[in-house]
Amino acid sequence: MIRLSLALAVFCLSAAAQVRFEDILKSPGEGWLTYSGSYNGWRYAPGRQITPQNAGSLVPKWVYHVPDARAMQMTPLVHDGVMYVTNSNNVYALDARTGRLIWKYSDARAARQGTNRGVGILGDRVYFTSADNYLTALDHRSGAVVFAKKFADLSTGITSSAPVFIARDKVIVGTSGSDSGIRGYIMALSASTGDELWRTYTIPAKGEPGSETWRGDFLEWGGAGTWLSGTYDPDLNTIYWTTGNAWPDFNGVWREGDNLYTSSLLALDLDTGKKKWHFQFTPHDTHDWDAQSWPVLLDMDWQGRLRKVVLHANRNGFFYMLDRVTGEFLRATKLIDNVTWASGIDPKGRPIVIPGKDPTPQGNWVCPSVKGATNWMSQTYNPGTGLLYVITLEQCGTYTSSAQRPVPMKNFSGGGATEEGGQVFLRALNPKTGNRVWEYPMTGIGSMWAGTVSNAGGVVFAGDDDGNLLALEAKTGKHLWNFNVGERLTASPIIYELDGKQYVAIASAQAIFNFGLFEPVKSVPLPKITIQK
Amino acid sequence: MRRLPLIGVLLSTGLTAQHSQYLSDSKNPAIGNPKAIAAGAALWATSCTGCHGADGSGGRGPNLVRRTLWHPISDESIYRTIREGVPGTDMPPTKLSDEETWSLVAFVKSMTGPASENKVAGSPEAGGQIFRGTKAGCSNCHSIRGEGGRIGPDLTDIGASRPVAVLKESILDPSKGLHMAGQEAITVNLKNGKQIQGIARNRNNYSLQLVDRTGNLHLLSMLDVASLTISARSPMPDDYGRRLSPQELQDLIAFLARQTVRPPAPAGGVPK
Repeated sequence: MIRLSLALAVFCLSAAAQVRFEDILKSPGEGWLTYSGSYNGWRYAPGRQITPQNAGSLVPKWVYHVPDARAMQMTPLVHDGVMYVTNSNNVYALDARTGRLIWKYSDARAARQGTNRGVGILGDRVYFTSADNYLTALDHRSGAVVFAKKFADLSTGITSSAPVFIARDKVIVGTSGSDSGIRGYIMALSASTGDELWRTYTIPAKGEPGSETWRGDFLEWGGAGTWLSGTYDPDLNTIYWTTGNAWPDFNGVWREGDNLYTSSLLALDLDTGKKKWHFQFTPHDTHDWDAQSWPVLLDMDWQGRLRKVVLHANRNGFFYMLDRVTGEFLRATKLIDNVTWASGIDPKGRPIVIPGKDPTPQGNWVCPSVKGATNWMSQTYNPGTGLLYVITLEQCGTYTSSAQRPVPMKNFSGGGATEEGGQVFLRALNPKTGNRVWEYPMTGIGSMWAGTVSNAGGVVFAGDDDGNLLALEAKTGKHLWNFNVGERLTASPIIYELDGKQYVAIASAQAIFNFGLFEPVKSVPLPKITIQK
Repeated sequence: MRRLPLIGVLLSTGLTAQHSQYLSDSKNPAIGNPKAIAAGAALWATSCTGCHGADGSGGRGPNLVRRTLWHPISDESIYRTIREGVPGTDMPPTKLSDEETWSLVAFVKSMTGPASENKVAGSPEAGGQIFRGTKAGCSNCHSIRGEGGRIGPDLTDIGASRPVAVLKESILDPSKGLHMAGQEAITVNLKNGKQIQGIARNRNNYSLQLVDRTGNLHLLSMLDVASLTISARSPMPDDYGRRLSPQELQDLIAFLARQTVRPPAPAGGVPK
């Protein structure tokens, strides 16, 4: 249809080659190909251009205001000079050097608006989920629709906010809605067709193993949403995925028992979805402490032998280490100072619960708060320092319960909770001991959702409650730089590299901010432009 | 003189002669009712064309068919606007009866609503063959569900996102009212002597984002660009009125009207 005589096409500057699974497997590289930058969840960039010596020279390179965005929780992906960004039911492809829009896809007829945490990329496709549970595959060069398939029904209370996770030929999607009652699951869909490959429920059906941990009438609405992405060990072919709270959140009398597999970490076979093992951090949770925080994969020496471990800083106030082959509990230490609901973790990994800390009709003061000792904001492990960097919140709150009989899908959570006072700290943890190496206190009480990222140059980036993206020396926690974006930070930063230069990008509530080291802007002469009538 | 031929265009698309239930977000029986649409068309001709044009393409008032940010307007919203007017503008309130107002809403919906929600004359199957065939060659540039060229706009959701009148106009007169941003046909001469031709998805004085005919992206700095040649017209051929017979054209429109990312809306309501 095009009349152009496209006699000569030059490809020297062409962008957007295909993304192979092997490319994601080799990450991190110059781009940012999966939510955490790599399958092990390190959120670490190998480039060394930004260092403690020059980080003070970081400046904004561009800002892209995402139309109608209010509180973006998305991690951008970057490949071959193109950045893929999402807002509710919308995908934007940006020139990662300039922030200029290349294409936009809008799913205008989605039946629901809602949080979206980002796309996945594989081959020549960009995958995203709409809030009403369609998986849509877009051509990464044009945004053209390849397919759009519904994978869950809104009428079951399920919505979609989890970032798309790609492993081999599978698109893994999660489920949201635990706070109103759902039966959660994790699904694998075919990257080629969008067809369902497997579905693993995070709440057992009546009679299945685990169902004996539920007493009462609400097993089928038990919750355990899977609204965050996971990590992946290709050697074990295992994905590690966390589950959300039990429902109703704050009143456990309707669901006596441990309530498997809520507030847990699941190890699933990628090919079949079959559960290899599970570990429940907070049995019979009554404080809305979803386990949605990152399962970070590390191979390290532990008591004289090399172990494949998974690290997990949990909302309940403890920092765990498990054997990721078997799920064996290895160690837990306190993540925050003020934990009042449990005196510790026993040798089998079960919390030693202090009686009388459940929510009450009058209100019960418990630490940590409902937001948790940490939350879904990303962590970074830096192999240069050997430290894990975790945003933590020292905060307590009053938990109340409601005697009302639960009604699913009516925004009923069985009570409520306050978040009072407190302070955010970025803490550098030694994975071998669980001890703090340093901490950086921040002002504010944890209204932001920004996590961390680090690079081989020895710099850690994080956000604070004031809207600052800040840079600290990874080794010491010394402040190096900060920039205030002028609004709340609700997502975690990334680092990518183009033309040998490192860039740091983060989604604020309404915009994508991009930073790089200062260099004078070159004068751009206007090209000769001819308009052909 | 302008009004009659344009109304003729609308009639020829079958918009005002539909006989099936109009799929809509309201349950008012006027919506999709041929008699109500005809009554609404008469009201439109006498009361609305002065500002909005006979075909809804605007004049003193806004263009209702080809809007900058196209999105279906709810029936209730149209009803309220007709009844209450738009304060602070030349759009006055009306004293039409409820029945007359709904007839007018039904007509406006049939003129401006998504093609996929209208019964459109022609054979979608035959239209699909035309779309993919060599005579029209549409799929050389446009893709539907991943099949076809990438240099033209993706048409996977075109039926759900454009009225029939716009589909027809876009085929017959692709440069009319063209919003060129993102669709400029462009030839770029680089300072290194190389040349790239394609469509500028975006450009300013400092950078250019271009897709070439094979669908590859080129992300250029204007520091590397010596000159640009930009076509003032759409790169799409403008001879489909001659290339296709009236029946082939109608079949092609019927095929495009069927293209939706989501399943067609159920009768009686577009999902909220």
